[in-house]
Amino acid sequence: MLSTTTYAMNNSPSYGKYYYGGLYSLLSFILTVIVLYYVLTGRGERIDIGWFLSETSPYMWASLGVGIAVSLSVVGAALGIYTTGTSIIGGGVKAPRIKTKNLISVIFCEAVAIYGLIIAIVLSGNIESYTQSLVDTDDVIKARNWYAGYCMFGAGVTTGVVNLVCGICVGQVGSGAALSDAADPTLFVRILIVEIFGSAIGLFGLIISVLLTSKAKMGDKN
Amino acid sequence: MGEDPIYSPFFGVMGATSAMVFSAMGAAYGTAKSGTGIAAMAVMRPEAIMKSMLPVIMAGIIAIYGVVVAVLIAGELTATGYTLFKGFVHLGAGLSVGLSGLAAGYAVGAVGDAGVRGTAQQPRLFVGMVLILIFAEVLGLYGLIVAIYLYAKK
Repeated sequence: MLSTTTYAMNNSPSYGKYYYGGLYSLLSFILTVIVLYYVLTGRGERIDIGWFLSETSPYMWASLGVGIAVSLSVVGAALGIYTTGTSIIGGGVKAPRIKTKNLISVIFCEAVAIYGLIIAIVLSGNIESYTQSLVDTDDVIKARNWYAGYCMFGAGVTTGVVNLVCGICVGQVGSGAALSDAADPTLFVRILIVEIFGSAIGLFGLIISVLLTSKAKMGDKN
Repeated sequence: MGEDPIYSPFFGVMGATSAMVFSAMGAAYGTAKSGTGIAAMAVMRPEAIMKSMLPVIMAGIIAIYGVVVAVLIAGELTATGYTLFKGFVHLGAGLSVGLSGLAAGYAVGAVGDAGVRGTAQQPRLFVGMVLILIFAEVLGLYGLIVAIYLYAKK
């Protein structure tokens, strides 16, 4: 009896690898059931994307944009620093001279987080209150406020996701640069050029966000 | 042409966002993968580093395709008078350049990584790598062409 229990404890299969697949399947099953319920009971027109977009408050869209901008940028920077930091420390065991020069890679990753912070602050400066009675009567002011909410959401998502991938990219290249530097000190500066190309991707996202934000104007004025 | 509901700018903004986001994903993958290859082969042949920058530059060009379409779409966004037709056309344009840029960047990264490592060992492979990279880059260009064609629709 004891031997079979210990055998099961030592050789039990791990089901952890099915975690993400199971989660995705469960969510898509629930979504399918909900949609089919509405469609098959003759209430199909209640699934209305247009209703959802026009009834949700522009404050929600704008605030989601601000939150996503800074949080995903920081996630990207953190993933980058994680990749490049472990490589610097690992390579520095045999070649401790690399540790100060390769902090530049870490600073490149940090700059990605700063881009996100800047955009979040600029976006949150744009959020202004409007009077509900004015919005109910005047169509132009309502359209302007709703448009501002959508633009700020788009700007935030652009910055967040672009900085996320940019941070991961800069981290990978920084890791390669650290290990090449440990082998041969003259290589670091040339591989830094690749990191600069990676950083430029984050800047592109910043440009598009600033462009989208400049068009957004909330408030009561026409 | 078409009606003008209050939520039509949402689709236009999502078009600009997807143009930038997906092409940036492809460009970042291309830069990271070929950058890792360059760092690996640089230890063996440092004189080939500058030649091997080509995949990184081509990945950057894919990001520029996305920037161009995003700027074009964002320039046409307005609060009033923005029809649902325009919104969906811009969403289609953004998705076409974005998702093709994602695929093209993936291809450029994989080919660039293998290409720079192979060129370090056999310098005659460089021309072959350039040819294959051009074919991969042109996939992103197809997305840009369709996006511009859609964007110019009245």
